[in-house]
Amino acid sequence: MSVVGGTAGETPAVPPSPLHAAATHRDAAAHRRVLQVLRRSESGVWRWAGRIAVMLPLTALVFVLAVLAVKAAPAIRVNGWNFLTGSTWNAGSGYGGVTHTDGVAHPIGAEYGAWPLIAGTLQTSAIAVIIALLISVGCAFALTERLPRWISRPLGFAVELLAGIPSVVIGLWGILTFGPFLAAHVYPIIADHMPDVPVLSYFRNPVGHGEGLLTGGLVLALMIVPIISSTTADLFRQVPRLPKEGGEALGMTDFEVANRITVPWVRSGIIGATALGLGRALGETMAVAMIAGSIFQVAPNIYSPMSTIAATIVSKLDGAQTDGTGFAVATFAELGLILAVISVVVNLAARGIVHRTSRLGGPVGRGA
Amino acid sequence: MTRISRAKRLVPAVIGGAALTLAVALPAGAASVKLPKSGVETPSSGTVSETGSSLLYPLFNLWVAGYNQTYSQLTVQTASTGSGTGITDASNGTADVGASDAYLSTSELQATPTLENIPLAISAQIVEYNVPGVTAHLKLSGKLLAQIYQGKVTTWSNSAIAKLNPTVKLPTLPIVTLHRADSSGDTFLFTSYLSKATPSGWGSSISYNTTVSWPNVSGALAETGNSGMVAGCKATPGCVAYVGISYLTQVLQAAQGYAALQNASGQYVLPSQGSIAAEAASFANKTPANGTISLIYGPAKQGYPIINYEYGIVNSKQSTTSTAKNVRSVLEWAVNPTLGNSATYLAQVNFQPLPTKVEAGSIKQILKVK
Amino acid sequence: MGPTAARGSRRRGGLEIAFRVGTYLALLLVLGPALWILGGVVARAVPHWRWDVLWTPTKGSSGGLEGAIIGTLILMVGVLLIAGTIGVLAGIHLAELARPRKSGKPSGGVMRTAADVLSGFPSIVLGYVGYVALVVGLHWGYSLLPALLILSIMVVPYIAKSTETAVRQVPTAYREGAEALGMSMGYGLRKVILKSALPGIVTGLLIALAIACGETAPLLYTAGWSGSVWTGSFIGGHQFSYLTYPVWTFYNTSTESGHSLSYDAALLLLVIVLLLLVASRIVVARTQRHAESH
Repeated sequence: MSVVGGTAGETPAVPPSPLHAAATHRDAAAHRRVLQVLRRSESGVWRWAGRIAVMLPLTALVFVLAVLAVKAAPAIRVNGWNFLTGSTWNAGSGYGGVTHTDGVAHPIGAEYGAWPLIAGTLQTSAIAVIIALLISVGCAFALTERLPRWISRPLGFAVELLAGIPSVVIGLWGILTFGPFLAAHVYPIIADHMPDVPVLSYFRNPVGHGEGLLTGGLVLALMIVPIISSTTADLFRQVPRLPKEGGEALGMTDFEVANRITVPWVRSGIIGATALGLGRALGETMAVAMIAGSIFQVAPNIYSPMSTIAATIVSKLDGAQTDGTGFAVATFAELGLILAVISVVVNLAARGIVHRTSRLGGPVGRGA
Repeated sequence: MTRISRAKRLVPAVIGGAALTLAVALPAGAASVKLPKSGVETPSSGTVSETGSSLLYPLFNLWVAGYNQTYSQLTVQTASTGSGTGITDASNGTADVGASDAYLSTSELQATPTLENIPLAISAQIVEYNVPGVTAHLKLSGKLLAQIYQGKVTTWSNSAIAKLNPTVKLPTLPIVTLHRADSSGDTFLFTSYLSKATPSGWGSSISYNTTVSWPNVSGALAETGNSGMVAGCKATPGCVAYVGISYLTQVLQAAQGYAALQNASGQYVLPSQGSIAAEAASFANKTPANGTISLIYGPAKQGYPIINYEYGIVNSKQSTTSTAKNVRSVLEWAVNPTLGNSATYLAQVNFQPLPTKVEAGSIKQILKVK
Repeated sequence: MGPTAARGSRRRGGLEIAFRVGTYLALLLVLGPALWILGGVVARAVPHWRWDVLWTPTKGSSGGLEGAIIGTLILMVGVLLIAGTIGVLAGIHLAELARPRKSGKPSGGVMRTAADVLSGFPSIVLGYVGYVALVVGLHWGYSLLPALLILSIMVVPYIAKSTETAVRQVPTAYREGAEALGMSMGYGLRKVILKSALPGIVTGLLIALAIACGETAPLLYTAGWSGSVWTGSFIGGHQFSYLTYPVWTFYNTSTESGHSLSYDAALLLLVIVLLLLVASRIVVARTQRHAESH
């Protein structure tokens, strides 16, 4: 019946007797104590929830690598080093017999060498990163330096939209529109004018039908440009005005300011962003599976169909289970493990470069 | 009472007990496998999932539409994913029915011994090509196709092709070989044909499977699914591809030709109702109870060499009795000569019905699914 | 100015022009294909668009996309709940934990490295692991739960990173003020810090959702495919549908209906991504307006 302390500002109609006041005061104190306990345990809950949550990515990563390693172990034992250098993908005579090598069961004649896939992965990613880096830096400059806000805002949004387009949709466009367009209008121009010189001969005819290494690399570049360019644009915006204006005052052209002041200022950041893009390109699956051609070979020229590790896994994994010995599935685990290792190494190397260059110390006044 | 007379009195008890046990057991065993008069068990409501062969896919969709007209309580989900996936999904339980043009291999049966490959219909495979200016049916042999797919014959004007087709004007167009990128029953059929036609060549080096290690031929392309093969060949002048006969209409619509293949008797035969039926008839008595048999390169003089049973891969141990009944119901409907196996459905995809003996064998296999 | 200097300045001028042209060309090379893709999808999907695609289930390769649409939405909600919770909590922890370390080392140790590595991990390999460990290994079959778990693993690092950035950007004055008022850590977090970091967190969540709804490879091997609407089961082999599957498979079918469904699904995906990005832009704009009003 008494008003519990807590509804501040409400005065009871009857003036409180001393007993009543004491009781209210005790209730208020009790109420405050309960709240204190709750709040302290709330902090505890936040702390513990945060600790558990932050452990989960690490746990997931360890779990993923462990599953891969365990599943791949029998294949690693049988395939050996030849898996990295060989060029066969033979599931063996499925309707023949089963034999054992080193204690591992597999169909007779099963032999796997993944060099064309490894080469294909590295080739498509290299093409993508080189092209994407050039375009992204240029794009970032255009967005931050020259264009007025009312243009650069919607254009920036359009670039973000490109980042969000699902990989299958880009692959669909690549295979229905872009690839045929390139093969009909762009590649012949390049191929017809290439001399038969050692490096450039890679760009000669035959031009094919649009499904191949170069198309794959170009589409991959398109997919990673938004990542690199938006990070780079953010970095450019963070470069302080003073050095740039100083350069201009000294008579430097825009290009020279960009080349000697802006880019070196954020070089490690650009490298980091490029590594991020490279990581995405290495693991990109669907678009590449649709437009690279799915042929198991090292591309004899830059327009030829080939395949990458990710594209091969996605298109051949469920067929691999028809090998009842489980050897094909184990080989795919080995393949995935290689891709995971490449991706992790690239990621860690990029972090290493970023930290090293940032610790070398930039110009005076840089960073706080 | 002597021991003998006591024993004599036990005999009726023993016999009676045995009879009682049998009387209980037999109906219990027989009751779950009784086929109603209509030939198709009534399903309970639920879903049955089918996945696999792109060759069977068009027909299976037609079957589902027809089946649902009578039994609308059962939803049947279909997907065209390739025979390899069909077998995989049926064996690890992610699909109820796997469709496959290829029968199960020993390693697959070792891994999942309760799998059955149940013949559902008879289909065939055609070899199509896109050679501008050639409208006639080219005569091709297994040996020649093996050479083409190994890169030993690279142009359409090659003397090997010209020898078999002296009246056809062949352009000097490079041959673009198309093969399946996914794990495919059509690959199984085509490579079986090549293996049987050249046992010491393709047969010993590359052999047959749902995925094979295709020899590196310059310009070769890989496609996904039968429709991918047709579309890819349409876009590529000079292509040769192996495609299921259920896509014959699409092949003709794309203005492409298909070949007359050489059979085991040396005759060049076009795929037609008659030639497929003739080949199938030659195997009707040889088909074992488990349905596992290759119908390729048969002895029929005028038989088309690449035909096969379309298999429903089913695990005879289903998770629940109602799922088992639903699966049985769909398959019983499919193999019934007045329902699924009638010309109404099969003619649309140029398939042939199962011979009576084989249909009876399929029913026996279906009834094993519990 | 001698001839050398004049030549030098001509070269510099030439470089400058080349640079300007180059940057605009680069911008065009990015926007051109982006518009081409959007235009291409719209041009292919709109002429044959039927509104009943939205509420008809998929039968084989014809019908509609009802199951796939609902499936994608369910996946987004599920990822928001699972990955959102874990990611936000992890981000808060990283931000608050790294704060006391004034040694200048930006890295938060093994946890942050693990999260970074996970964010760059190839999605198909995660799909493979989901397949062998959850779908086949634990006998869950193709169903919703393995798909949710794998997608969440993919997306948690993004959310954690954006949450950490957002929380870090809350001015120290707010924190000190909260402590000065006697607020406990948790209470201060909830009432002060998270409220001001909320826009950044929400933006991160929206971007993560955009990533999740566009994924295909991991879903192929954890969710399978089904044309019908979700039956409510999380595991047990009731395959799940999602919009990226028709785009991947149906463009290759021999039926016109299959092609239309493929383009329609692509269009719907673009619409969803567009809505998410617009929403995140609105959130950012609101914050700035809110901040400027101080």
